[in-house]
Amino acid sequence: MAYNYDKFLRLEKMPTLWCWGCGDGVILKAVIRAIEKCGWKQDDVVVVSGIGCSGRFSSYVDFNTVHTTHGRTVAFATGIKMANPDKHVICVAGDGDALAIGGNHTIHACRRNIDINFIMINNFIYGLTNSQTSPTTPQGMWTVSQKAGNIDPTFDGCNLAIASGASFVGRETMLDPRKLEKLLVKGFQHRGFSFFDIMSNCHVNLGRKNKMLSAMENLDWIDKITAPINRYEKLSDEEKLNTFPTGVLKHDEKAREYCDMYEDIKAVHQKKRKVISQDDFEKKI
Amino acid sequence: MSVVAPENTPVWVDESRCKACDICVSVCPAGVLAMELEPSSTLGAMVRIKHPESCTGCINCELNCPDFAIFVAEKNEYKFAKLNDDAKARQEAIIANKYRYPGN
Repeated sequence: MAYNYDKFLRLEKMPTLWCWGCGDGVILKAVIRAIEKCGWKQDDVVVVSGIGCSGRFSSYVDFNTVHTTHGRTVAFATGIKMANPDKHVICVAGDGDALAIGGNHTIHACRRNIDINFIMINNFIYGLTNSQTSPTTPQGMWTVSQKAGNIDPTFDGCNLAIASGASFVGRETMLDPRKLEKLLVKGFQHRGFSFFDIMSNCHVNLGRKNKMLSAMENLDWIDKITAPINRYEKLSDEEKLNTFPTGVLKHDEKAREYCDMYEDIKAVHQKKRKVISQDDFEKKI
Repeated sequence: MSVVAPENTPVWVDESRCKACDICVSVCPAGVLAMELEPSSTLGAMVRIKHPESCTGCINCELNCPDFAIFVAEKNEYKFAKLNDDAKARQEAIIANKYRYPGN
């Protein structure tokens, strides 16, 4: 018997609406396997997604799911986590969702170190709306909004998360699903904000005009611009500029989690509260 | 299509889900899979299991399939082969022929 993904899927929504060879499907599979490896029950997992191709993530999986407004994924997820601290919240956003319109939410969720698993699917373009420049689009690439080549510098999501104070930061590509699954399991089990930058392909809207016509050519390009963290550290400074390290980039187990701190605050305030006895109450009246 | 392996089959495909993206063919180490012309499919092609006897059971194709369309049997259900030079050469030829079976 092959691995049974069907019990985690909403089969009436299959096949997926993603293009042929889209990396989102591979990431979806890796997330399902990682959840099963962590031993989480389906009812204890909440998947929150925003707008974009990655937004469809929540409609295909049979967990508690919320499909939210553009860029506000982390805001909704923070609310869900605060109200249900025993649930495992997984937040899925695209590069536009996480770094452009929802950039501010991402920064402050990282800063609070709340126990949310934030998966940023980075396909280097606004794919759903037909190839506009996104914050992660490499310089020089053709996009609909910058036809002579993109001049905006590339945004590194992991550096942003590290600087804002996320306690687990990792980057992986969808080229090696086994490595991706390992990283996800590590991050899911970490208590605190886990930020994953997962590089994916969009050969339809990025590749078509940038000499990467098929999914395989786009994946080869992703392979070229990434290097495992061990190999990355040995590169020269010039090579480092155009390469993204993959693997666990930050893992801080000592950082305090936001829901725990909130429980402490609750306890302090409950102690301060005056308990009025029945007699006092009657006297007052 | 169920996830239970049909008898004496190492790898099988749910053709209603497959979108013919070539990924499974490209990650196979042993040249088991190849694309074939199929006019009724989305991209005019469909993955075919050409050499089931060379399958090593590495589940690369299953892990890399974005559409939940390809399945691999477990080790206790099928006796998988070991990777040999013939299979490696065939895989290289398939990749060089744009994921089609050489001669097609």
